[in-house]
Amino acid sequence: MGLLAVFLYAVWPWLPGQRGTSRTVIVYGFSILGEVMNSRIFPAFQAEWQKQTGEHIEMVSAFAGSGTVTHQIKMGVPAQLAILATGLDAKTLIDERLATLEGLPEHGVVNRTPFVILTRPGNPRGIRDFADLAEQEVAIVHPDPLTSGGAQWAVLAEYASALYTGGSPEQAGQRLEKIWRHVVSQASSAQSARTQFNSGLGDALVTYEQDLLRDARAGRLEGEIVYPVSTILSEHTVVVIPRNVSLQDRPLVDAFAQFLWSARAQELFAEAGFRSVDERYNLSFRAIEKPFTIDDLGGWPRARTEIIEAIWQNKVLAVLGK
Amino acid sequence: MKDYRIPVGLLLSSLLPLLLMPLMAIFLFAGKGGPTHFLQALGSPDAQFALRFSLLIAFATSLINAVLGTFAAYVLSKYRFPGREALLVVVNLPVAIPTVVVGTSLILLWGPIGLLGKYLDPMGIRPMFAPAGVLLAHLFVTFPYMLGAVKPVLDEQEGGYEEAAYTMGASPWQTFRFVLLPTLRGGLLSGTLLTFAHSLGEFGATVMVSGNLRLRTQTAPLFIFAQFEAGNIEVANAVASVLAVISFLLFFGLLRFAGKER
Amino acid sequence: MSIILKNLCKNYQGLPVVNRINLEIQDGELFVLLGGSGSGKSTILRMIAGLTDPDGGRIELRGRDVTHLAPQLRDTGFVFQNYSIFRHMTVAENIEFGLRVRNVAPEQRRKRSEELMDLVELAGLGERYPSQLSGGQLQRVALARALAYEPAVLLLDEPFGALDVKIRGQLRRSLKEIQRRLGVTSILVTHDQEEGFELGDRIGVLERGNLLEVGTPDQLYHRPSSQFVATFVGGGNVLVGELCPEGVKLGSRVVPCPPNTAMPGHLGGARVRLLARAENVEVREEASLLEGHSLGSGQVAEATFTGSGQRLRLNLPELDGVRCISPAPAYGQEHPQLEAWVASRPEGRPFQVGQQVAVGLLHYHLLERTGLRSLILVDFVQESRVALDFGLRVSEATGAPATLLSIAGVNEREADVTARLAELHGSLLERAPNLKMCVRRGGLSEEVLREVREGRHELVVIGEDEGPSVTRLGPWAQRLLAKSEVPVLLVQQDRPKISRIMICSAAGEPGKGDVWLGGRVAKRAGASVSVCHAVSETAEPDHKARVRNHLAGAINSLHAMGVEARPRLLDMGSDGSVAQTLLQEMEEGNYDLIVMGMPSKTALATRLVRASSRPFLFVPMT
Repeated sequence: MGLLAVFLYAVWPWLPGQRGTSRTVIVYGFSILGEVMNSRIFPAFQAEWQKQTGEHIEMVSAFAGSGTVTHQIKMGVPAQLAILATGLDAKTLIDERLATLEGLPEHGVVNRTPFVILTRPGNPRGIRDFADLAEQEVAIVHPDPLTSGGAQWAVLAEYASALYTGGSPEQAGQRLEKIWRHVVSQASSAQSARTQFNSGLGDALVTYEQDLLRDARAGRLEGEIVYPVSTILSEHTVVVIPRNVSLQDRPLVDAFAQFLWSARAQELFAEAGFRSVDERYNLSFRAIEKPFTIDDLGGWPRARTEIIEAIWQNKVLAVLGK
Repeated sequence: MKDYRIPVGLLLSSLLPLLLMPLMAIFLFAGKGGPTHFLQALGSPDAQFALRFSLLIAFATSLINAVLGTFAAYVLSKYRFPGREALLVVVNLPVAIPTVVVGTSLILLWGPIGLLGKYLDPMGIRPMFAPAGVLLAHLFVTFPYMLGAVKPVLDEQEGGYEEAAYTMGASPWQTFRFVLLPTLRGGLLSGTLLTFAHSLGEFGATVMVSGNLRLRTQTAPLFIFAQFEAGNIEVANAVASVLAVISFLLFFGLLRFAGKER
Repeated sequence: MSIILKNLCKNYQGLPVVNRINLEIQDGELFVLLGGSGSGKSTILRMIAGLTDPDGGRIELRGRDVTHLAPQLRDTGFVFQNYSIFRHMTVAENIEFGLRVRNVAPEQRRKRSEELMDLVELAGLGERYPSQLSGGQLQRVALARALAYEPAVLLLDEPFGALDVKIRGQLRRSLKEIQRRLGVTSILVTHDQEEGFELGDRIGVLERGNLLEVGTPDQLYHRPSSQFVATFVGGGNVLVGELCPEGVKLGSRVVPCPPNTAMPGHLGGARVRLLARAENVEVREEASLLEGHSLGSGQVAEATFTGSGQRLRLNLPELDGVRCISPAPAYGQEHPQLEAWVASRPEGRPFQVGQQVAVGLLHYHLLERTGLRSLILVDFVQESRVALDFGLRVSEATGAPATLLSIAGVNEREADVTARLAELHGSLLERAPNLKMCVRRGGLSEEVLREVREGRHELVVIGEDEGPSVTRLGPWAQRLLAKSEVPVLLVQQDRPKISRIMICSAAGEPGKGDVWLGGRVAKRAGASVSVCHAVSETAEPDHKARVRNHLAGAINSLHAMGVEARPRLLDMGSDGSVAQTLLQEMEEGNYDLIVMGMPSKTALATRLVRASSRPFLFVPMT
């Protein structure tokens, strides 16, 4: 009997008459976007679309690490639209003619979040900036740039912030090296670095502001957010995958893409802790003295070869490896 | 009755950190937010879908592998043919292969750009990133369990059973139904349970082949992982605790049922 | 007739494990197949039940040809040595199984199973599970289960093999009684001769897939035909004696031929094997007390008390020179020994070791004479009779049965060949009453070799007419020579009498086989033997000495067999070949038979055969 009950429970939604045949939009995104998309953006778009056309649509989504999503799209998942953590992932897909930015505002950048430092409650080590991570004897938890998109942003922030506060490239390189001397753990993703830090490891963590704001708003942030004098704003890029969009679904997918830059959507992103591409919605965020973006560093391909590979991988790691 | 306090005590204390405490932790963290939170977490459409989908896949996997695994065990146990040994090793390999590799291989075979999939794709047949793909992965990963449970029973069976039945006039089907199947009941039961339980908890291969689509192909373990990723540990543990309870009840119920049969 | 087996064959990896079994079993008979392990007894049973497919032959059950029928359709009851009782069913369910698969109504099944449980003395145990029963009870369940659906025949495969001795005895009696009462035709397979004697209406003795003898327990015990059966069944004394006008000569003693022994009178001096069971050896304190035929005085070498009697080993100096096949002589034993069994005499004194006694035979039996069982290839194409005549003469001389073989070629109808051979066979029966015949189809050499193996022939006789000499010993005959495991006699021209035999000793290693076989033929035919070896004039002295040595050994062996023999060291001359030298000797000596080792390369044989038309006997090197 029990077995039958469990079985009936399981098949219920698949029984005839239990499912509609609505149109769907299939969205893949990188992990920290999951919550805001599922709970805020999708319902808002569904409501708006219904108001406009009277049609009920379903939003189907999958969220994983940005690199994973990129790889999944290459393997052929049926994603119609994807939101990626770095422009580099987007570029890979565009170069392979799998994705396009065509017709999207802001070169596909839909929102941003700066990289900040999380310290223990009360900031016992008195960390104020990336410089402190280099100069003081602190234990840093850091995601691994080889596997994590967030970690790559973090490396760029640590290095380039020195340039934007008047340092020379040599000084910037030294800062990066000193910070990495203090790294006690390299977690595979930003999320697992956070988990390690929460479980008590280290004095400081370099991570997305959004991740911390979300917890702070839910009242469960343990620790203190430190805003560096200068840091990078990570940019999250939307791409459309034409292969998976049929001719008749094209207007629907396009409408959803455009909706992401609408006032309503940008407001919702800001509420969830993402900084909007439209500064009007960023009033509640704390200002950063000297912010910069990937474009300021010459774009992703250049930043990747000149900073992450040439400096972090070949110099810093090489020195630390000795 | 022999005094069981010392051995049982030893067993429990050694299992405590290995098994019991982690299990308790699931329930502990699931209930951390209070019962309302717990029910809310379970009631969400995503969680409901993931649970039902996982159970459905587990039922289908157990059913198909029960038949297929028993058949394989029968052939491998009763017939001697060239290449039998090799086949025996091959059918047991899924246990040893990392499930992620299984998932990747399935995608490379059946995916839209895969070896066979690229011919199916134009016809509109896309087994990967769909429930069929999840089922395929689960069938592959759990195949050895049924075989492992049934084959030893068949191997140990006195060879005369079938012959005795034949001489008494029983057809091969009657022989299977009345003579072989009843002796296999224990093996079938434990094999099915193992398959079911493994399917319910399968993660590595599923995450690759399902496309992890919410409300489409997201199984309970994928849902749990997604919730962990998003930092919703309570929600994750709520669903995990439900999985644990379902598994517990199934095992317990079936064991009782088996006990009565004996 | 309930069970008929015709030419039943089964091969395993090319070797026969069941070899042309012919058997007819009467309605209601309990037939025992007795044999050691590997004798093929279980295989026969499994073939009857349909659990093993025969490779040839035919099986009839109650007049129905079931050879290729599925086991389910044969209506047999099978009792397995390991019981094969279904452990998940109760005793009653087990017994009812055969009825259940026949869709018999439950009430009837219940009634029948209760009847059967009464019959096998398990009443009231129907609800038990097999795990609660003893081995003997399990085997009773197995018997009831096999009888429940009233099968046409009951087959029992070592049913008591796994049980201890006491239970075995009880079960045997039950089985015999149940079988009698139900009158079900049964075959029981066992390796235990006591069991066979106790249960069997008739017994068939199997050895290496061959059914050696079939008879009642009494016949097999007292009047077996073959040595194997004589020693396998019961044990006792088997002595080799010599036929003489007064009877059988055993050393210095002569005992008369037993009545009803058909021994050809012209075989004076021929050897016969005499079987005397231990209980038929008479042992007395004094010769005057002997009731049987005296073997003179003897001495007790061993004495064992067995309760009901005394088992004795006796030294018999008066039988000196007599070969004892059983009991096998111990190393260093001075005189032939006999085994005797005498009943306990409560009043008299038991025999003591070292005691002088008078020994006699109360009853004894002469075994069938053996000889080379020859296979004579009859080739109608060349209308040749030389092989036939010569081969028959050999078989007459040895008293062994001969078989005529014809092989149907691709263009011939087997029926035609059979008819022609049957006609010939019929015309020869008067001359050779034991003559058999058979016909095969296929390649010549392959079929001859197969028949040799399956028919257990010991000699192949092939003939070739005086056709053009260049075609003699053609490709098929060469293949036969190269592969045969038994001697091959090639007859090209008949010789009226075999009085001079030439044994061509092999170059190098002494061919013991040719010497032994040549000697055996010479002994039977009363011929003289020359052992020849060709050596080159330029051969090393060492080599010559070795050859001389080898020849001397051969002559000694032949003399020991009682054959007149002489060595011939043939000088090849400075430029002569082996073949030339041998041919020259053949002509000079005018031999009637040339014996030589089976040539590994047939070139020499071919050359000799093509140059000389005398009979050649090729002996395989072992």
